[in-house]
Amino acid sequence: MTKRNNLLAVALATAVAVLAAQPASAQVAAARVAARSMPVIGSTPQVCAMQRGRIQGGALININGLDGDTLRILQLTDPQTLAARAASATISFEAFCNFPHRVRIESQNNGLWPTDGRISASTTSTAFAYALPYQARLTWGDTNGRLDANAKLRQISEQRIDVNHATAGDMLLRIEVTQGASNTGVNAPLLAGAYGDTLRIFLEPR
Amino acid sequence: MRSSLVIAAALLAGSLPGTALAQSNTSTKNVGIVGTVPIICAGGTLTGGNTFDVGVLIDTTTGFLRSELSAPDQTLAGSYCSTRTTINVVATPMTAQNFTVTPPEGFSRQVDYTATASGWTTTPASYRTGEATNPAATQSRNSAFTGPITVGIGGFATTGGSALRLVADTTYRGTVTVTLTAVD
Repeated sequence: MTKRNNLLAVALATAVAVLAAQPASAQVAAARVAARSMPVIGSTPQVCAMQRGRIQGGALININGLDGDTLRILQLTDPQTLAARAASATISFEAFCNFPHRVRIESQNNGLWPTDGRISASTTSTAFAYALPYQARLTWGDTNGRLDANAKLRQISEQRIDVNHATAGDMLLRIEVTQGASNTGVNAPLLAGAYGDTLRIFLEPR
Repeated sequence: MRSSLVIAAALLAGSLPGTALAQSNTSTKNVGIVGTVPIICAGGTLTGGNTFDVGVLIDTTTGFLRSELSAPDQTLAGSYCSTRTTINVVATPMTAQNFTVTPPEGFSRQVDYTATASGWTTTPASYRTGEATNPAATQSRNSAFTGPITVGIGGFATTGGSALRLVADTTYRGTVTVTLTAVD
């Protein structure tokens, strides 16, 4: 074999060696591991919810309990003096808001007013009262709020409380009518009739 | 790699006979022809959308994690390894991406789940987020293999306990990663 052919053979052998060696080098080393990643996604919408109220036993004064969503006062007035008798109850609502929110307490009448709209200041003497103030105290998480429904004017009154974080648990609402409360003077006799108000609690975005 | 070997063989076939015939006396030379099949793994192509989308995480009446949460499986099609392998699956919990502080009492910002990769080994590889150890996360196969890998998630649970509700957040996100590793 000539030197030229020997060189050719060596060159070919080298070519084979190089071609064979390339894949075994760093080029392939990276392919020894194969990985795929998949995201897992979901969402949680802003939600507030409140269950029906439950009367708290042991804290009832002059109130039997809840009749559906109605709190019924047993004896609104003293039968002898016709002055308002004290009454109070605490109602709990299981509730949650999973975001910073606001609690709004709204009294439709700003007090207990005659359900018969014909009874008003113009139909009675100043000696008689024709509306009853009351207080609503609310405890929600670490927040407290109070609405004074003062019965000065028959109108919507409300209290708004900002809550800076998500809250869950029992919301406590205490309703109190004090002894002798009236919209005219303390212990004023109350005009005959049925009295009522609608109190609404809102959990809502701020 | 295969194409390289073919080229090498063609060069030898075309050149060596010509040089040998040109000589009047017989002369023998041995030329080694070698080739290797590399150790290689390929993860294949994802089908099924590439994302596990669980949707709304909570029951909007109660605020608690929905009990029927699910997401369609993902499939890694065309995966292969040319030698024995291990398959490993790891996952991170679904975590609120915008609500990043410690949640208030009664709430959580994270959901745990189990990710499973099946089809590659007799026993699927599985990983549960939130667990201190996951011994089943890595499974071994003693032979080369090609075939689809089915990846699924399930067993969702609120981190911290089922008594906790999830804070509102537009995006809860986690990741499932499947890894094939060649073993020498």
